[in-house]
Amino acid sequence: MTSYLVLLGILVCFSAILALALNFQWGLGGMVNFGLTGFYALGAYASALFMLKGGANSFFAVVGAMAVVAAVCGLVAFITLRVTEEDYFAIVTLGVGEMLRLVALNEDWLTKGALGLTGVPRPFGDRIAPEYYQYFLLALAIALLLATLWFLNAVARSPFGRLMRAVREDDVVAATLGKNVLWVRVRIFAIGGGIIGLAGSMHGFYYQYIDPTQFSNIVLAYGFMAVIAGGRGAHGGAIFGAAAVMALLEGSRFLKDLVPALDSDQLAAIRIIIIGVGLIALLIYRPQGFLREYRLKVSP
Amino acid sequence: MTEILRAAGLHAGYGTGDILKGVDAELGRGRIVTIIGPNGSGKSTLIKTLAGLLPARQGEIELEGKRLNDLSPPKRVRAGIAYVPQEYNVFRNLTVLENLKIAREFMGAGRSQERVLDDEVAGLFPELSEHHKTQAGNLSGGQRQMLAFACALTVRPKVLMLDEPSAGLSPKYMGDVFDKVRRVNAMGVSILLVEQNAREALRISHTCIVLAGGRVRAVAPANEVLGMKDLNSLYLGDATLH
Amino acid sequence: MLQTTFNGIITGVIMTLPALAVTLLFGVLKFPNFAVGAMMTVAAYMAFALNAQLGWPLLPATAAAAVAMGVLCIGIDQVTFKPLRERGGITLMVASLGLGFILENIARFAYGNSARSFAIELARPFRFADVRMNQEQMITLGVSTAAMVAMWLLLTRSPMGRAMRAVADNPSLALVRGIESPRVIRWTWFIAGMLLAVGGVLIGMDRALEPPMGSNYLISVFAAAILGGLGSPLGAFVGALVIGVVSELSTLVVPPNYRIGVPLCAIAVILIFRPQGLFGSPYIRK
Repeated sequence: MTSYLVLLGILVCFSAILALALNFQWGLGGMVNFGLTGFYALGAYASALFMLKGGANSFFAVVGAMAVVAAVCGLVAFITLRVTEEDYFAIVTLGVGEMLRLVALNEDWLTKGALGLTGVPRPFGDRIAPEYYQYFLLALAIALLLATLWFLNAVARSPFGRLMRAVREDDVVAATLGKNVLWVRVRIFAIGGGIIGLAGSMHGFYYQYIDPTQFSNIVLAYGFMAVIAGGRGAHGGAIFGAAAVMALLEGSRFLKDLVPALDSDQLAAIRIIIIGVGLIALLIYRPQGFLREYRLKVSP
Repeated sequence: MTEILRAAGLHAGYGTGDILKGVDAELGRGRIVTIIGPNGSGKSTLIKTLAGLLPARQGEIELEGKRLNDLSPPKRVRAGIAYVPQEYNVFRNLTVLENLKIAREFMGAGRSQERVLDDEVAGLFPELSEHHKTQAGNLSGGQRQMLAFACALTVRPKVLMLDEPSAGLSPKYMGDVFDKVRRVNAMGVSILLVEQNAREALRISHTCIVLAGGRVRAVAPANEVLGMKDLNSLYLGDATLH
Repeated sequence: MLQTTFNGIITGVIMTLPALAVTLLFGVLKFPNFAVGAMMTVAAYMAFALNAQLGWPLLPATAAAAVAMGVLCIGIDQVTFKPLRERGGITLMVASLGLGFILENIARFAYGNSARSFAIELARPFRFADVRMNQEQMITLGVSTAAMVAMWLLLTRSPMGRAMRAVADNPSLALVRGIESPRVIRWTWFIAGMLLAVGGVLIGMDRALEPPMGSNYLISVFAAAILGGLGSPLGAFVGALVIGVVSELSTLVVPPNYRIGVPLCAIAVILIFRPQGLFGSPYIRK
């Protein structure tokens, strides 16, 4: 039981980091990232490949993965600079995410395609005894989560943070004040991307194998649910949201014991239906997500 | 009852804070009333609230004594109050004919009545009949204004509200618009006009309402206001007029 | 090459109805609805239930499924999208994403993951000028053409069709011209539901019936609607054919697994450089 809770804890931690990234890009930056799943996969594969093919140790693999995802996100933000409608930006990022997943599925020489990568090394994997490893991983996960929180808070309070809010509220005004709106957007998206890369790396450490089926659009739903459940902008909210979502999802695993008559396909289907219903219910009944959509003045 | 449209204590706005801060206004039956005022005084907001596009946060709106506050815009149109917005007042992707058709299709008028109205409108707006198949988006600014005007008229409303009908028009079209307003009024339609070109509008109006800072500053017969050299003093609330 | 082009035309034709549904929904509701793929799936399975399980011929089964889907869509809108109407595009898009999950997995729950097919008599494919065609493709061409003609008549000749176009053009003006938006919205969903149902059956005939069948087409259908211009029915028709043909032809130069790359790139390129597509116009949101 403890073991189960520890594993759940780790899951909550890196899901929370993912939610924080989405919250940063969307809630504070006003850029909706529907390609979340694809960038997350990119982070996971990059980190695993740096270790497996590049022989890097876990630290450099994580840094490398963060850099890769940050760079790709920055590039995407740069190319889409002209797409000013929120909806359209979301569709474009969805497309990019899909492209990334497609590459992961098809470029066998790099990613082993549908088979995926196995035997992903973990930080200090061989130095800590297996019975204790999960506690270490949990501690590491919590530490990384806190570090991310601290970092994002620092950014939000910095001059750059004020700039971000100005651009989000009215980029025409910001532009006339001489601020380089494009560059701000690129940086926001890139920073968020780096954090997604971190979450992706941790995904690899947790599961120790990576395959394309782990990266379905459900990840996107999780991310949005966590951010919306947690409430607007506030970073702490994203964590609460991630915990709540994970509790809901993991809890639904116990369905199997309650209803033995259903087969595993059907149970899997029901779990996803629950996610979908949960997402919609959240949107309808918990509107404190993003005040920006009400077009009111938002105080940070 | 001499007034056909009445607003009392109207408050309305877009975000936090009200733009209309307690507006009382009346439109006499068969009259033309022009609302003038500086930019930002709430003229357009008032008309939009009367049309139902903006909810009245406080106050009453009555058409022939019937309370309009809870009616949606389409229901208000059916009750007899038509509105021509200042901009984006035609369906650009539809043809002229389709614009005219759609204006009355959902009003519940019978077929025979439709033909009568068609003839009336055609008589008033001869310039539109050549362009029936043209897409409204391809018309000139002046032609679009005429089309917007015609659409609002197609069901013989009791009250017609026009938001700056002469905005952006050449002098020729401007004169044409005000001429048509007068003729429509002669047909029995009560008209509420919001105008920047105050003098032109006042020339055809019976009454003038001065709106500034979201409040009514003065109500006076139009020709008295016309006689004033300086309208600005009115805007500042100098109520020596009445 | 000719064969590939023909296959592309068929794929394109299959996509015309869903693309039209997407564009109509976008025009009236002002947001991209990601649940359309799953809606096609559910409708196809409904037709399957009538056809393969109850023994109805495919045509009446499709017609019944179309009406059922139309009504179902109205219901779904009332429960899911209507409460969120004022909330903005992103919320609606996310909700439609969730809805897609729900619908697809209802199909999965009811019918499992293995592929099914409709019960239609087998007929031998025939050749025409070096191109192999089969009965299903002929039916697809016939049905889609009939549906497109019906839609064209609806949109240009009927009051409701005009109202839908008016609301798509300028929602607040539509209100002050006496058009009740809830009624237009209901009709739009009903028509979209029917279009998606027929599209779903055509996909089921062309490929097979399995839970992801509709979602597999989601990106291509959106690319078609976006290329044509979101909100433009003519655009949806043209866009679908273009995307269909180009996607198929691209398999001649690009590995087949990347076929989806064409619609994806098309979406990105169009939204970046010409968001109104070929025939769309920059619309007015309020």
